[in-house]
Amino acid sequence: MSQGRQLTFNIFRYDPQEPNDKPKMVRYHLTETPGMTVFIALNKLREEQDTSLQFDFVCRAGICGSCAMVINGFPTLACRTLTAKYPNGEITLMPLPGFELIGDLSVNTGKFMRELAERLKLWLHPKANDISIHRLEEPMAPEEAARLYELERCVECGVCVSACATKQMRETFVGAVGMMKIARFELDSRDARTAEDFYHVIGNQDGVFGCMTLLGCQDNCPKDLPHMQQIAYLRRKMAMTLV
Amino acid sequence: MAIKLSIKKWSAWLDLSQSLSGVILAVFLWTHLVLVSSILLGGDAMNWVARTMELSFLSSDGHGYPWVVTCIAVGIAALALVHVIVALQKLPMSLRQQRALQQQMQVINHSDTRLWRWQAITGVVILLLLPVHLWLIGSAPETIGPQGSAERIWNQGVWMVYLPLLLTVELHAAIGIYRVALKWGAARDLNSRSRLRKIKTIVSIAFVTVGIASLLAFLPHAS
Repeated sequence: MSQGRQLTFNIFRYDPQEPNDKPKMVRYHLTETPGMTVFIALNKLREEQDTSLQFDFVCRAGICGSCAMVINGFPTLACRTLTAKYPNGEITLMPLPGFELIGDLSVNTGKFMRELAERLKLWLHPKANDISIHRLEEPMAPEEAARLYELERCVECGVCVSACATKQMRETFVGAVGMMKIARFELDSRDARTAEDFYHVIGNQDGVFGCMTLLGCQDNCPKDLPHMQQIAYLRRKMAMTLV
Repeated sequence: MAIKLSIKKWSAWLDLSQSLSGVILAVFLWTHLVLVSSILLGGDAMNWVARTMELSFLSSDGHGYPWVVTCIAVGIAALALVHVIVALQKLPMSLRQQRALQQQMQVINHSDTRLWRWQAITGVVILLLLPVHLWLIGSAPETIGPQGSAERIWNQGVWMVYLPLLLTVELHAAIGIYRVALKWGAARDLNSRSRLRKIKTIVSIAFVTVGIASLLAFLPHAS
């Protein structure tokens, strides 16, 4: 049905490395093929029309989180977006806002994620009696493992950060990805940190109490993570430390 | 039972007090509008409501104590002040923040963010108009009634304050309650969220309609 259709791409182009380059939108035309994703289209454009086009990808299957960009106003993964979704064949591509721009559609989400992990200490803090590597690990209840796994599905694509107007206004805000990861360790029975410890990390305007519940994270997360419920849970948990 | 409050956790207190003051103000607002809408049932009905609010049933001469209304106005002003001081911290104050918001909203299409911007804009309008309303009522509580209020609204032109105040406050309150519910986890799933959003819109429309009808109902009493 969609075979042979002419697609028009409006793509943000800017290379910060080029001294005289200015940000601009460039139009490209491409013939649609069956099952074409934005990711496939971008590769074709780069192969056939413009080798200087910059964008990120690794897995092309929605697992690595590299190809996140803003497609017709919605931040999402290019590899999971079919071009057939757009009836008029017009597709506008912008880089994710709020991240350091590497060039064109490529942004440095890795730098942000690493800084966030270091700041929030996003790794398991074992209990004092649990540091011996010779000790057998206690089995985890399947329900708990399932709860943790649900949050572990985050691919750090950066969509929630870009979709969050709060984060854009307040640079130091941890965003949904930070809170999701904190919640993951808060739920983990092996982690030694208490609610009080977590309050020190996210019990402030840069953390859960700075969240204005705009829910851009919830509405755009390509992995459909339960950000709304998770942030509400953390908010209640942190407020409970008051009494 | 010993409950030890942690006073130093300012961020948690601020967030809680913003939600709490907002909910109380919204409940007051809707009660207030229902009471005022008694004018729709005629002058006598409104008169009865106004006198009862002044606790006329406690005074021997049946005139009540108009200063009760002044006390309510002062209380609402205090609550609103708390709400404003906390909420202002969430608004984009600097030019840098406003531009960041503007740029993000230009690139990303998200309806709840637009809803929040309306809440912020209406909040600022309310901040300007509410003191006028509270002053007019708090300083002359005895004039509340079909004739007194009609005189104020239509002959003295106060409808120019009340009409925009009605529109903004009914938007602001309904969006705010919707957000508070989501914020603290009242919506377990996305279906209940969209249901809440629909209810929010209906509440806004219903109260604006009742409010405008009430303002118009004062017209015949203005002589």
